[in-house]
Amino acid sequence: MVLKNTDVLVIGAGIAGIASALGLADAGLKVYLVEKEAAVGGYAASLCCKATDVCSGCSVCVVPEKIKQAVTHPQISLLTNSTVQRVGGEVGNFCVEITQKPQYIDTERCVACGLCAEVCPAEPKAVYLSSAEAIPFSYVLDERLCLRFKGESRKLCGESCPTKAIDFERKPRGQELNVGAIILATGFDIFDAREKGSLGYGRYPNVLTGLDLERMFNHEGYLKLSTNGKEPKNIAFIQCVGSRDEGHGYCSQVCCKYAMRLAHLIKYQSPDTQVTIFYIDLQTAGKGFAQFYQEYRESIRFIRGVPVEVSPASSDDLEVRFEDISQGRVCREIFDLVVLSVGISPRKDSWDLARILGINLADHGFFDTKEILNSNGTNVEGVFLAGTCQGPKDIPDSIAHGMAAASKAMQALTVRGR
Amino acid sequence: MEANTGVFICDCGRSMNNIDFSRVREKVAKIPHVTCVNLSSNLCLEEGKEQMTSCIRDKNIDRVVVAACSPEFKEHVFQQALENAGLNGHLLSVANIREQCAWAHEGDVTEKALELIRMAVNRTRLLQPVEEKELSVNKGVLVVGGGFSALNSAIQLSQLGLPTTLLERESTLGGRIRELENMYGFKTGPMIEAAEGAKNIDILTSAEVLEVEGKIGNFMVRIRKGAEEISRSFGAIVFATGYETEVTDQDFQLKPGVNIISQERLAQMLQASSPKGRPQTVGFIFDFYDENSRFPTLATLSNALAIKQKWGSEVYVLCRDVKVDSEGADQLYREAREHGVVFSKFEEKPRISADDGRVKVEAKDVFLGEDMTLICDLVVAEERILPPAGTKDLSFLLSIRTDSQGFYQDENVHLYPVASERKGIFFIGGCRGDLDFQRALADVSSVVMNVYGLLSSGKVVVEAEKVKVDPQKCVACLTCIRVCPHSAIQLARTEGEKEVAEISDLACDACGVCAAICPAKAIKFEGYSDEQILAQIEALGAP
Repeated sequence: MVLKNTDVLVIGAGIAGIASALGLADAGLKVYLVEKEAAVGGYAASLCCKATDVCSGCSVCVVPEKIKQAVTHPQISLLTNSTVQRVGGEVGNFCVEITQKPQYIDTERCVACGLCAEVCPAEPKAVYLSSAEAIPFSYVLDERLCLRFKGESRKLCGESCPTKAIDFERKPRGQELNVGAIILATGFDIFDAREKGSLGYGRYPNVLTGLDLERMFNHEGYLKLSTNGKEPKNIAFIQCVGSRDEGHGYCSQVCCKYAMRLAHLIKYQSPDTQVTIFYIDLQTAGKGFAQFYQEYRESIRFIRGVPVEVSPASSDDLEVRFEDISQGRVCREIFDLVVLSVGISPRKDSWDLARILGINLADHGFFDTKEILNSNGTNVEGVFLAGTCQGPKDIPDSIAHGMAAASKAMQALTVRGR
Repeated sequence: MEANTGVFICDCGRSMNNIDFSRVREKVAKIPHVTCVNLSSNLCLEEGKEQMTSCIRDKNIDRVVVAACSPEFKEHVFQQALENAGLNGHLLSVANIREQCAWAHEGDVTEKALELIRMAVNRTRLLQPVEEKELSVNKGVLVVGGGFSALNSAIQLSQLGLPTTLLERESTLGGRIRELENMYGFKTGPMIEAAEGAKNIDILTSAEVLEVEGKIGNFMVRIRKGAEEISRSFGAIVFATGYETEVTDQDFQLKPGVNIISQERLAQMLQASSPKGRPQTVGFIFDFYDENSRFPTLATLSNALAIKQKWGSEVYVLCRDVKVDSEGADQLYREAREHGVVFSKFEEKPRISADDGRVKVEAKDVFLGEDMTLICDLVVAEERILPPAGTKDLSFLLSIRTDSQGFYQDENVHLYPVASERKGIFFIGGCRGDLDFQRALADVSSVVMNVYGLLSSGKVVVEAEKVKVDPQKCVACLTCIRVCPHSAIQLARTEGEKEVAEISDLACDACGVCAAICPAKAIKFEGYSDEQILAQIEALGAP
């Protein structure tokens, strides 16, 4: 028996969702790719290339390539700013209600010329590009900032727009999709480092997260301290922030690698900078990484044990208190930048989708899989998991898992009843 | 033939006000080969695209230059406009006058915009169409290996209607699959039965691959089965040849034997209902040899737990780091500690010696900062995960590079997760490196999707002769054949009986390496040929 409806809905256009969508579309299936944000790519699209004069194998460059393939693929319909409201039916015949936030700026018509932002009187600007590398490369209008939603009658941006892409009359748009299978690829939340108050994130400007560093490298290309604009000279990375602790009984799988790759990039840019990594267990397995670690381990100082407290020292410096295990005593050391290697947390809104789809959550809050031999299947037939919504993964693992979900969805739609 | 070039300039809704577009228009009209100049504000929108299409059609334009935003954004839209007008999409150049000109500089940049357009025009007149052609492919798949990954991918592929051949070196299927039974508590028997019972799975045991010729869609594989040799054709090949383990006995003064055993031996002992003389103290050693210890870590954690539960022995685990970056590993680590397994961490390899029938393990514990001596009844030695025997030969046979540790698949992030530099050849599971069970599982489904996408329709569409060899110039020096990472080039005989290099459109990835290196300049990469690039440069600074 071949089911009638073989269209597939993919929820979430991060790298895993994109991999799923591309796998299915290349096999000739029709795919609806629904993304909550205005731009696709998820977290992976905001990370930085960590290559020095050689590639460090972080896989970040694979992301824009896949995004481009997905958004131009004739078999993939992309719906941004959209969320799933309700799901009914069963495998082979799901009925999905989707709401799209009002598209005040039509992504099809916006040419990203930026004239709207030039004339926008709001401060900060209510029209902006969500990021420099956003795809679709289109401006978005932020209701919370736009003066028209606060009683202003003029529409300067609308008048300035050369392609008439701006329309304030747009309402939220509902639509119903009929699909045969659903793939969930909703990704993760970055652990909020403020929850670890003693590490000072959010209180001391020179305590940053790994993601902050990624974005700084991505946009500026080098590091500088926000307090004095100078290059940091003594940097501490603290591993396992939001991983392997009481609330998060799992390894996030990405932090050791990104910390070491960033440390190597920092050392490459300024060899006299000291980099120290505080860790519990170094996760150095994985293709190509073992070699990378062996080659560069000498240039980085590794200290076993994770500090519990970061406090301000003189001027903008930070004092890190840690246990020197080999000496068996508590030490204090001064750093000018502390980087918290934050981990992958389940999305806070996972529960909403779990309820809508009737699927289960596992112990830590990631979506639950049905059985040991199938890390894509859920308790609802026809609903599959892809990527980090099922558990922590790095970029290649997310792509593999996304492709695997596509494979399971296709098998559910074409080989049933054999 | 003189080109009839149409130049379409887009001012992007007048957002490039540091370019004087009327002057650009006037000047561009005077460039040789330009027969028509159009100025638009919305070239990438539906209406702009339609205008472009009708203009190309009406004015018989045969080459197109678009001066607008970066080709990253809208090149595909403009190509579509050409195709709609019946013109080959490759006869287009995009001059980026937005991101690389107007937006990059302060002040008037009309001259730079003009230069960019002039250069594009001069290149475009030399462009040749690249046609697409459809080639039929064989839907059969060869899966090499007989273990977990091989069995499961063969079963899934056959269920999707692709006839699959499973080729196993040993006389029976299964590989190391039984190791998983203990660790994950599922039965592997039904898996083997499913493969054996499937209608369109052909199983060849005691067989090995001798030679692989041909390209994706039609690989000719010479196979030795027992004493006979057979030749078969396949559309794609999946290698799932697994991994091997080696007990790193060279580090120990004792050879592995009664008291020092491997994980595999331990698994057998645990499976046996009542071991003779349960060991009182068991020590595990791992993560000293190399970084690839995800699987050994998982095996150690689950076996340590099993010993606690079955034998109730004292269990000590001595390691450098616990590799917990795989699914469920940290939880298992936690559980093991809760059940009383003691973990000690070391920076240096422990010293091991015989001690009156037992094994003495000595090392400096980093947490205690002191030397620790442990007398064990049984030590489970560290195992190193290695590529399977024959990997070197097979990768040589396939002209495929291995990674720095000798596993299949080059360390090129663009090939992950399962692809290789040769289209239609895939690597999954343990043979491509340090993978745990869940990752291997993802590999299996992932390769099924890849292979199905390639072969299910029975045909592939490729660009014809995007990179081609001029038989007149080729001196058959073999340089291109040597450097081609995709094994897409071979020697062929032309009509005049002269041997020349020939590029397969099916296997070619259009990377351009051959065109760059050819000493006789016999290889032309359409769109980036020497003439085209030189023409572009020559136009720079022309009046």
